[in-house]
Amino acid sequence: MIKIENVTKMYGPTVAVKDVSFEVEKGEILGFLGPNGAGKTTTMRVITGYFPPTLGNAYIAGHSVLDAPLEVKKRIGYVPETPAMYDDMRVKEYIKYVGALKGVPKTELKERVERIIGTCALESVYTKNIGSLSKGFKQRVVLGQALVNDPPVLILDEPSTGLDPKQIHEIRSLIKSMEGERTIILSTHILPEVSMTCSKVVIINEGVIVAADTTDNIGRSLTESHQVELTVGGDPDRVKETVSGIAGVRNVSNSGNRFVVDSEKDGDLRAEIARKVVEGGFDLLEMRAHSMTLEDVFLKLVTEEEGERQ
Amino acid sequence: MRNIAEIFKREVRHYYTSPIAYVVIVIFTAVFGFLYFRNLTYYSQLSYQLMQNPYYPQRIDLVMAVFAPLFSSNSIIFLLVIPPLSMRLFAEEKKSGTIELMFTYPVKDIQMVLGKWLASLTILLVMLALSVPGVFMAFKFAGSWEWGPVLSGYLGMFLMGVSFLSLGILISALSENQIVALIISYGALLAFWFLGWAIDPNSGKKMADVLTEFSIIQHLDNFIKGVIDTRDVVYYVLFIFTCVFLTARVLESKRWRG
Ligand SMILES: Nc1ncnc2c1ncn2[C@@H]1O[C@H](COP(=O)(O)OP(=O)(O)O)[C@@H](O)[C@H]1O
Ligand SMILES: [Mg+2]
Repeated sequence: MIKIENVTKMYGPTVAVKDVSFEVEKGEILGFLGPNGAGKTTTMRVITGYFPPTLGNAYIAGHSVLDAPLEVKKRIGYVPETPAMYDDMRVKEYIKYVGALKGVPKTELKERVERIIGTCALESVYTKNIGSLSKGFKQRVVLGQALVNDPPVLILDEPSTGLDPKQIHEIRSLIKSMEGERTIILSTHILPEVSMTCSKVVIINEGVIVAADTTDNIGRSLTESHQVELTVGGDPDRVKETVSGIAGVRNVSNSGNRFVVDSEKDGDLRAEIARKVVEGGFDLLEMRAHSMTLEDVFLKLVTEEEGERQ
Repeated sequence: MRNIAEIFKREVRHYYTSPIAYVVIVIFTAVFGFLYFRNLTYYSQLSYQLMQNPYYPQRIDLVMAVFAPLFSSNSIIFLLVIPPLSMRLFAEEKKSGTIELMFTYPVKDIQMVLGKWLASLTILLVMLALSVPGVFMAFKFAGSWEWGPVLSGYLGMFLMGVSFLSLGILISALSENQIVALIISYGALLAFWFLGWAIDPNSGKKMADVLTEFSIIQHLDNFIKGVIDTRDVVYYVLFIFTCVFLTARVLESKRWRG
């Protein structure tokens, strides 16, 4: 349904997104994950036809953003990261306006607007000016304008930023409820958001895709990786050296005499670490296996990529 | 077509709900009306004096005494009141960011430009229409029904007004700041106005002639005299077309650069 093919986007001389490719199948919710400045917004703007890619192409239902931008735009609903709407318009009037621009037939427009007001729970504010609404209501209006043409594809750029927990929950369930019905790309820098709502994940960092898999797989492959936390008495640098020397250890970091040891996915190194520490003449004060949360996984993916490039 | 109509409606509604259009219309009507009554008073005094003079039985020409100088000074009024109508059309959308969603709707750049352009043109038409009752009064007062030069004068003012608007929209698309757009519009209109005065006719006759051809008010003269010259019409139409076309191109290049 959505296909991104070797997309590179440059702002003048700066490369914001480099050779990005991925696909989203019909009905899937794809989490597009990356820290700030990773290139999520840029990629999404290419997909929406907001601007063309410098290199590469993107397709929505087989229509190219370069050759048939209007066909692409008819099929998408877009929620920008920092949505700006016409503050002087009333909610209902605005959604109707967007519906008309998106080509909803005149005869269906009225009914469609009513339906959107229901779906997005805007009944209490639909005669108010958009400028006077709270952040939460504004976000629902933005979602309303995205949905008004009943688009098969939804592009949501960090839709839950700035909302309170209740509103975040509401918006996530709304997104989740559209699974199977619409193809959705949801960008975020918040990991739990992905594990809660998305079936697949693409992780991007500094304009480059670093991982793409199902949410379950990414979660599993990373929870199988081990982290061991140690507290060791002795010269930290020498401890670090000793532990780093153990086969299977990927990375050792410390603050003072507390250490975090990253190891390969297979095998538990706790026994080996304990032996080496003691053999080295240090005092092993504490040790425990650390099962990684998704949050750590994310940090890890990103830092690994950075490490490899250096 | 539907897109143009929708954008047109929204923009007209915006003019309708914001103070700028009202202020502009009021100022235009007041200044235009003031000049009109001044000319008319002068005309009536003159006619009265002439009627006392048996050796001068002809009447003085209403068009030459009232409308020609009025239409001529209207260039200055337009220069002052039209840029405020065009300044926000794109600058505001860029500044507030509403243009982002617009760019993701299935709307062509030129449709966006035409919708806004037509809306601003509507305000211009309202302004001109408000001055029409005065014309009827003058005709009734003078008992003269010489329509031709007045109609051509109005056509000229309309074309000049639309030219001002079109240049203003182009500048609005180039800027993110309404006030900057306003000031640049004033500067650009003045520059187009003064073309032709730039060179002393004695020293460079040819050059002066060429530049005069480009001057935006020079082309109004014939209309005021009651002459509709194709060259003048073509000048304004080309000027307007170029501005509208360039505005669409500016939007397109904005898209490419992000
Ligand atoms: N309009 C722009 N001009 C220049 N650089 C930009 C522009 N927009 C984004 N960038 C840069 O491109 C990179 C990717 O940004 P963005 O796509 O907004 O990332 P994200 O949405 O993941 O936070 C960043 O380094 C950012 O500074
Ligand atoms: Mg972003």
